[in-house]
Amino acid sequence: MQIPPVNSMNLRHKFFLWSGLILVLFSLLLSLLYYQHMKSILIKEALDKSEVILQEVEAIREYVKEELRPKIRKLHKDDTFILEAMSTTYVSLQIMKRFGRRMHGYLFRRVSLNPLNPKNMADPFEEEMFDWFEEHPDKQLWRGIIQKNGKSFFVSMEPDYFEPACLRCHGDYHDAPKELIQRYGTKGGFRFKEGDLGGIDSVMIPVSASLARITRDSILVFLVIFGSAMLALFFLNMMFSKLVMARLGRVSSSLLQENGPTEEAKTGKVPAGAGVDELDNLRLSLKTLTRYVKIARKGSGVQPDFIGPYVVGQPIAPGTLSWLYQGTDTRTDQGVTLKLGFDDVLVNPLYAACLRAESKLMENVRHDNLLIPLARENDIMIFEQIQGVDLQQWIRDQQEVSSHLVTVFAQLCDLSATLHWAGVVHHDLRPAVFLMTKDNTLKLFDMGHAFQRDVPDVILSSGLGPQGDLRYMAPELIQGKRGDPRSDIYSLGILLYLFVTGRLPFEKQTVSLSTWLGIKKAVPAPGSVKSAISPELETVILKAMAWNPDDRYQWVEDFWEDLQQAQKMGFK
Amino acid sequence: MRLAVFGDIHGNIEALSAVVDHMAAKNVHRYMCLGDIVGYGASPNECIDVIRSLPRMNCVLGNHDAAAVWRYSPYAMTKEAKEVILWTIDLLTEENASFLQQLPPMLSAGDLCFVHANPYNPEAYRYVINRKYALRSFASARQRLTFIGHSHRPVIITRKNFFQVTFDNARGNTNRSVAGKKKRIINCGSVGQPRDGDPRACYCLLDTRQKSIEFHRLEYDINGAAQKIKAAGLPDFLSRRLLRGR
Repeated sequence: MQIPPVNSMNLRHKFFLWSGLILVLFSLLLSLLYYQHMKSILIKEALDKSEVILQEVEAIREYVKEELRPKIRKLHKDDTFILEAMSTTYVSLQIMKRFGRRMHGYLFRRVSLNPLNPKNMADPFEEEMFDWFEEHPDKQLWRGIIQKNGKSFFVSMEPDYFEPACLRCHGDYHDAPKELIQRYGTKGGFRFKEGDLGGIDSVMIPVSASLARITRDSILVFLVIFGSAMLALFFLNMMFSKLVMARLGRVSSSLLQENGPTEEAKTGKVPAGAGVDELDNLRLSLKTLTRYVKIARKGSGVQPDFIGPYVVGQPIAPGTLSWLYQGTDTRTDQGVTLKLGFDDVLVNPLYAACLRAESKLMENVRHDNLLIPLARENDIMIFEQIQGVDLQQWIRDQQEVSSHLVTVFAQLCDLSATLHWAGVVHHDLRPAVFLMTKDNTLKLFDMGHAFQRDVPDVILSSGLGPQGDLRYMAPELIQGKRGDPRSDIYSLGILLYLFVTGRLPFEKQTVSLSTWLGIKKAVPAPGSVKSAISPELETVILKAMAWNPDDRYQWVEDFWEDLQQAQKMGFK
Repeated sequence: MRLAVFGDIHGNIEALSAVVDHMAAKNVHRYMCLGDIVGYGASPNECIDVIRSLPRMNCVLGNHDAAAVWRYSPYAMTKEAKEVILWTIDLLTEENASFLQQLPPMLSAGDLCFVHANPYNPEAYRYVINRKYALRSFASARQRLTFIGHSHRPVIITRKNFFQVTFDNARGNTNRSVAGKKKRIINCGSVGQPRDGDPRACYCLLDTRQKSIEFHRLEYDINGAAQKIKAAGLPDFLSRRLLRGR
């Protein structure tokens, strides 16, 4: 499936795309907020825990200092030093080691830059923290999240300053207890003075697992919010389509159908509605209706008399976006044909873009059945002079229209094939856009709804929906698809039906587009309308009018070949 | 629809006449010329005149056509090609030059795509003769069947899947099916300077109903064409190449 660029999507798709994007952003925002909130709770918890542990260690150290040490000194000689019971560092470290074994991942460290026990030497991060505490002597605590061995830890650190009681073991090593020197030697841990920053107590609490859990939860939150919002959007859209769009579409479609005077030439002439949504279309339809009323009242009074060197004469026929007028070139006194945009086409930028695209197309594609462009004055195209009646009238005037079948369809097929090979799909092939000259040459004078391969499609991108006469329109066009040459083959099929039976397979009805789609599914057999039709001809018509484009003729050339064969077989 | 696809005429009016006569007898609906009407051969104007006179004809631009109207530099071509193009530039009539000037590099219709060398960069004129460039071409062409020329060797390349392609050289007069949904690249061979060892003029005929492609090889007055190249004072290598067909 091909995804169209955003600019050529219709409004409803655009709305859904943007709503979807906004929902994604909204869900992302919510899940980020959730993540931040949960993370702050996690940090607060870790803070409390580390506070408890540090206080506990401090309590142990105080107990050793104030209870154990004096008691042992009293029992033994004054210079006796039992490390296992009298060193605050040793005792607290040993207790916390056991605590760490029970509480997996919890780590208590008491480190120094000059420790007695080399195992308690500060690592590079802790060295930095020593510097930090020395630079900020007023700070008694540092907290933060650090990465260690690929895992996240929450860390609390407290500095420990030397008191006089500590200097017995950590002052001059000559005064230090013998047991201490025997155990650790004299390399480190001495020559401190009172008030020196002796060590740092740190507690590390693992938070990796909790962070991962929070991330997982945030993703879940995102998915749940996004999913439910999309579901809600879907139901809202369904309700909106059913309650508003469908009814609005019906009103709009009935206006499109009813807008003109009863004459066939003036019906279906709602300019390729250049509004941007249903309400705009409605407004434009009403405006067009007003214009028709005005024209009906004033006759040809609205037409200008002079355009540059050209005199504007009688109107010939209305097109999708413009009128065709007879005219005269005052410089050469030669007759010309002028194609003038409708008033509201010229003032509306979107209509005007359509008209310009049409003019460019008329200039670029050459074929015997297209008007020959002579010049262009702003938005007005000047063509060769043409004398003829519109094909609809011509069909009415013929005694036996089917006798002209080959003459007309040879031209129609050749023209359509040329357009298709030039990358153009007409999308609005019906008798009212053709003029028949006296020598039975068809002239296509309007391409207002045409699709061009190399030009952005204004009708599709502005979300106008199906444009043209629904009776001649292929089902996929009613569904809003454009640019498939096989849609024109469908219209050729309808024209063939008209030529062979003398009437259209589908009559004008003011029903909604979806009802039209249903109507198009069942084509009344041409044989049932007029009995003298050969089965071959009937097969050609029905194949050209197949509901599914894949079942139709894929090329106009094939349609023409079969039509010729069937024609040779003649009517029954 | 019966569509005659031909290309790489290279100023060889003898070969083109034989091909046009043969196509006309086949009752084709449309003609599609894949470019390189001029270059190498001695009758560029005559060839363009014949092509322009064909009814329901479409044509895309080849590298030699582009060089003949300075849309592509002749100095980026081989020595012989450049020499002939500079000779052609002087010879081209104004009408024929403007015909070449307005040719599009690529055309598409329905599920068919037409380009002189390759669809992914139509104006860079790289040969599609191996898997890498075939896959790249398949990726860029949206249509099912892509018709190319440029290499002067008739071949049908079929995409088996996103990674594999098969090359099926079409030798002599042969008929191949292009039914199914697989994407295919069809090289229609060369009218005026075949290089697959068969010096006969080559073109192909697509029948969209039968879903088949007929490759036709036609005898023509090769000696006459070679003589003209010599008489015009163009490199002798080019006339020998016509006779050898490679």
